[in-house]
Amino acid sequence: MTQIAHDHKAPAHGHDHGHSHAHGSHGHDAHGHHDPNLAHHFDSLAQQFDSAKLGIWLFLATEVLFFGGLFVAYAILRMRFPEVFSYASHYLDTIMGGINTCVLIISSLTMALAVRYAQTDNRKGLITCLVLTFLGAVGFLVIKYFEYSHKFHDNLVWGPKFYVPPHSAEGDLEAAVLKTAPAAPGTAITVENPAPWQVPDLAKKPAVDASAVKAASQGPSGVARANGTPAPAPAAEPAPDAKDQAHPGTHLEDASMPPNTHLFFAIYYAMTGLHGIHVVAGMGILAWLTWRAVRGDFSSKNFTAVDTGGLYWHIVDLIWIFLFPLFYLIH
Amino acid sequence: MLTMLQTLPNAASQAIAAAAAAQSGATAPSARTFWMPPGASTIAPGVDLTLEVINWICYFFFAIIVALMVYFVAKYRHRRGERFRTEFPHHNTPLEIGWSVLPTLIVIGIFVVGFRSYLDIYTAPKNAFDIKVTAQKWGWTFQYPNGAQSDDLYVPAGKPVRLVLRSSDVLHSLYIPDFRVKRDVVPGRYSYMWFQCDHPTGLPAAEVRDPNAKTVAGPLDASQRHALFCTEYCGTGHSKMNRYVYVLDETTFGEWMTKQAQWIDEIPEEELYFKAGPKLFQRCVQCHSLDGVNGIGPSWKGIVERVKGYPMVGEGKKYATYQDYIRTSILAPGDYVVPPYANAMPTFKGQLNDKAIDALIGYMEHLDDFDPKTGKYLKAPAAK
Amino acid sequence: MTTIPLPTSGPVRDTLEARPDSDNYLTHTRGVLSWVFTLDHKRIGVMYMWAVLASFLLGGIFALLLRTELLTPGPTITDDANVYNKWFTLHGAIMVFLVIIPSIPAALGNVILPIMLGAKDVAFPKLNLFSFYLWMSGAVLCVLSLAMGGFDTGWTFYTPYSTTTDTGGVIPVLTAVFLLGFSSIFTGLNFVVTVHKLRPPGMTWFRMPLFLWALYATAIIQVLATPVLGITLLLLIVERTINIGIFNPSMGGDPVLYQHFFWFYSHPAVYIMILPAMGIISEIIAINSHRSIFGYRFIAFSSIAIAMFSFIVWGHHMFTSGQSALMNTLFSAISFSVAIPSAVKVFNWVATLYKGSVSLTTPMWYALAFIFLFTIGGLTGLHLATLSTDVHLHDTYFVVAHFHYVMMGSALIAMIGGLHHWWPKMFGRMYHEKLGTVACWIIFIGFNVTFFTQFMLGSQGMPRRYYDYQPEFQVYHVISTIGSYIMAFGFTLTAVSLFGSLFGGPKAPANPWGGRSLEWQCASPPPFDNFAKTPRAGDCYDFSAVHWDEKTGGYWVDESADAAKDGSHA
Repeated sequence: MTQIAHDHKAPAHGHDHGHSHAHGSHGHDAHGHHDPNLAHHFDSLAQQFDSAKLGIWLFLATEVLFFGGLFVAYAILRMRFPEVFSYASHYLDTIMGGINTCVLIISSLTMALAVRYAQTDNRKGLITCLVLTFLGAVGFLVIKYFEYSHKFHDNLVWGPKFYVPPHSAEGDLEAAVLKTAPAAPGTAITVENPAPWQVPDLAKKPAVDASAVKAASQGPSGVARANGTPAPAPAAEPAPDAKDQAHPGTHLEDASMPPNTHLFFAIYYAMTGLHGIHVVAGMGILAWLTWRAVRGDFSSKNFTAVDTGGLYWHIVDLIWIFLFPLFYLIH
Repeated sequence: MLTMLQTLPNAASQAIAAAAAAQSGATAPSARTFWMPPGASTIAPGVDLTLEVINWICYFFFAIIVALMVYFVAKYRHRRGERFRTEFPHHNTPLEIGWSVLPTLIVIGIFVVGFRSYLDIYTAPKNAFDIKVTAQKWGWTFQYPNGAQSDDLYVPAGKPVRLVLRSSDVLHSLYIPDFRVKRDVVPGRYSYMWFQCDHPTGLPAAEVRDPNAKTVAGPLDASQRHALFCTEYCGTGHSKMNRYVYVLDETTFGEWMTKQAQWIDEIPEEELYFKAGPKLFQRCVQCHSLDGVNGIGPSWKGIVERVKGYPMVGEGKKYATYQDYIRTSILAPGDYVVPPYANAMPTFKGQLNDKAIDALIGYMEHLDDFDPKTGKYLKAPAAK
Repeated sequence: MTTIPLPTSGPVRDTLEARPDSDNYLTHTRGVLSWVFTLDHKRIGVMYMWAVLASFLLGGIFALLLRTELLTPGPTITDDANVYNKWFTLHGAIMVFLVIIPSIPAALGNVILPIMLGAKDVAFPKLNLFSFYLWMSGAVLCVLSLAMGGFDTGWTFYTPYSTTTDTGGVIPVLTAVFLLGFSSIFTGLNFVVTVHKLRPPGMTWFRMPLFLWALYATAIIQVLATPVLGITLLLLIVERTINIGIFNPSMGGDPVLYQHFFWFYSHPAVYIMILPAMGIISEIIAINSHRSIFGYRFIAFSSIAIAMFSFIVWGHHMFTSGQSALMNTLFSAISFSVAIPSAVKVFNWVATLYKGSVSLTTPMWYALAFIFLFTIGGLTGLHLATLSTDVHLHDTYFVVAHFHYVMMGSALIAMIGGLHHWWPKMFGRMYHEKLGTVACWIIFIGFNVTFFTQFMLGSQGMPRRYYDYQPEFQVYHVISTIGSYIMAFGFTLTAVSLFGSLFGGPKAPANPWGGRSLEWQCASPPPFDNFAKTPRAGDCYDFSAVHWDEKTGGYWVDESADAAKDGSHA
């Protein structure tokens, strides 16, 4: 690569990094050769580092807006169906969610330590902390796995499947015949035939008339049930021991369940699921960083990847810190 | 179109005159102008005036900008070899302030004019006459307080009319250009719109819709009817959801409503299938044919025999008779859908009463008496 | 005018010709793989350009098909309304997502932005290549969706129709648009960091060319708005596959919620389309008037202001959807405020012509066409921002005409003008000037014939997305269709003029137009690393240092004059 002489631009440090400038402001070492860590299109390591930082912060902004859409959806659903949220949040296991929160916060700590160790040339510490962070992610996903599997077992899921009773004898949801369970919102027609359960999909099977449809989106006064009795208003506060267990019994037998409760689980899985995908992506990044750290790529002169990867991990943690109270703590 | 161009200079003065007339309480439909169709509602003059105001502001600014652009290019044209000009202003603060502030004031003015006429569109008067409208793929049904139902919209003249809109399936939008009103019809909720037309059109001269036509009906004559369109894309038949609006004076409207509510009740049982059948079939024709060609739904040719052969139709089975099955198909279509058709049929519960269903069943039973292409009754006595 | 010959040696010469003629970014490495794995922003930009133009051809074919169908009410070339519905949907989706949104930033921006900054590349070249492959996979998936049954939802995918229609191509195209969205986000991210961190000595913010201001403002919108589109598409896909019910009224959802989500991105998206176009126009007009742009600071600030305001006006697409009168009023009022900066930009451009030395090159003709067409497009936005007139005009052909004037008549015209403007730089060949100018006029005439009639169609009451229509509208449709054929002819001529130049067109000098910004100070085509010697950035709108050299048939910039004037540096 040809040497290119140019004015030495003073590094544009917008803020103090809070650490010693161990990296030189020129890309050249004492022999005038380019530092191998310096990309050809940057003038200096400082410029390269600053660009990486700005880049990752912009990416975090996109992540915030990406999740932001779901937060807005949450807010709107909560505003329209407060009784659904106060009812259904009891089905979430606060203990497990709390443990997950601690796990993620600790993993953020180990990640920050990893960055610190990289900056101070402590390779062993760096690798240890990266591995610990990775394990934290694994722990988080394991706990999430238990939470989800409990819910799937009880059919506390999104959409129309919510209205199929769990533990059905045949084990085949499609063949289930509903005689006493409430019909899905939006239809007042008794379904009593051997045909497969039809999802009340709107364009294919619109409501009997608009008022029934409207009622489905109303509150507890809701929709007529197959057995003819209207849905009663939900109880003020369900008995704690009945609701806070992992297996509260089939939700469909609970007369106080408001209609449209499936929406709570829809938004719950959407948000925690999307978050979980980001945790998995984070694990990939951590694994890559660990591999590079073992290889010896990082030093006080070059720790950019650890720093930017760390920022990504912090936002994953931060999003969970918002999710946890919104779903698990507010009733 | 030439006539439209000739009306251009009149548009502004006409709009102003109409607006003035509206102020005084009297309304008259405005003629078609270069830009706008005839205005037949009480809010049309306000909307048209707003449009004229905006138009003239636009003409003015467009003319200035283009004229200056052309002038400067011509005057300051540079040809290869000429000297470049070096004396030119980089900025001019008073000018820049001026051309920021002036447009701001103008758009505020436009906003205010538009806002005021919008409030008229948005707020229905308290004593409005309610008509329920059901939109579905791909047709409209209008229901009146006395139970009358109609495929076209008939409204009383001189009274505010409020439409209560609902959709059975997807988004639609009800648009009547001559009245300058439009509202999206959203499934799952009621929407409202209102208008008042003071100029009766009278009853339609004759049946104008050919159910098997490949295109919508003929040209519009606004003195006789107004067009009603669906204007939110809703699928295959989106452009075929046209209906007409007829404005009737008070007495005629009352008579029409009564007759409409009773029309099917007054038909003797044995004449139902040929007097009511074809008319009701209008609502089915988008998906069902009479000539054997299957569409979104099965063709009705030979349907009775087919239904008799279904496994769940028969003594002791789910549907005791074929009439039961047909009736359920109309009222609760998803109950049993014959493969390979999709569960796509909307329900007609609330729109078709028992007699109407009897008429349709009779129609299906006597299909051989009808022309498979046009649905016309072949055994009708020759028209005079 | 005396020509001042280009110095035979010294810094200017070094900048231009430090390498033998044949060595430029196109020829520096050879072979398909050197393009497939390139990290060179110029090559990536060129690949984008070809892909975008191919998409434009495809979208244009659908447009011609649907316009031909509309020659008569009822069936014309197809019996099936579903086929027509797919045509207009595909035309819209391809043009919006594959052509107009990426064209200027990804194709022209990628090539020009780093060079204008005197930099060697964008901040993240690998991310740039990744963006390109995201775009390609989105485009391929979009084309595949045609084979999987197509889709007929309209490019806006309104629920509940889009979640319930049984055409098989819906989920593939939603995924495709998701990928395209991320391509856009990463390109924007790249540009923001590049503009912040890789500016050369001497180029403060207010010394940047206006094209860079425009790209920067666009990049901000790309980064902030596109993720919301991403989540919206994900929700649609999930709604369609596993039926969560968020947009389904019978399950407690709200179809209008989708519209809010969709337009929260799609309104800023139209500013992604127009802002870079305005940047190009600023460049073309300043250079071809050989004088500084009038009101530079205003134009720079207005780009940022438009970007910010664009986020708070989305509701003006939904005036008839059932929004409360209060929301409608607020959105209407704020929408007017967005109109003002755009209007003042137009005044600034016209004022730039004043006492300039106007050369009527092909790019300049495109810029003048832009002013004409953007004025109409922008002014008709007033009709749509006004509440009462919008009730009448919403979802009619008036809206179609309005957005074609701003998206096609403005953004696309500016893109083609920019293509002509930077074509000599990118490929080292001059296109056929006269043919280019004639083609521009044909496009301009065809465009107005096509779309001005649609204003009248709409205000007379013809709804959008109609396969069949009332016979009294036919006259307008026939005229409009004839206009579309004229336009197609014009675009063909443009293609001949541009692409033909690649096969033996005259060689282009480094600076054919007399520009002052840094891209004109490297050879045409640029060397693989852009500059032999990083030039100093002066005042890019001060043309007094630009001199004509008869021998090379181009201009050259005397930076020494600038250094003398400008005592301090950096």
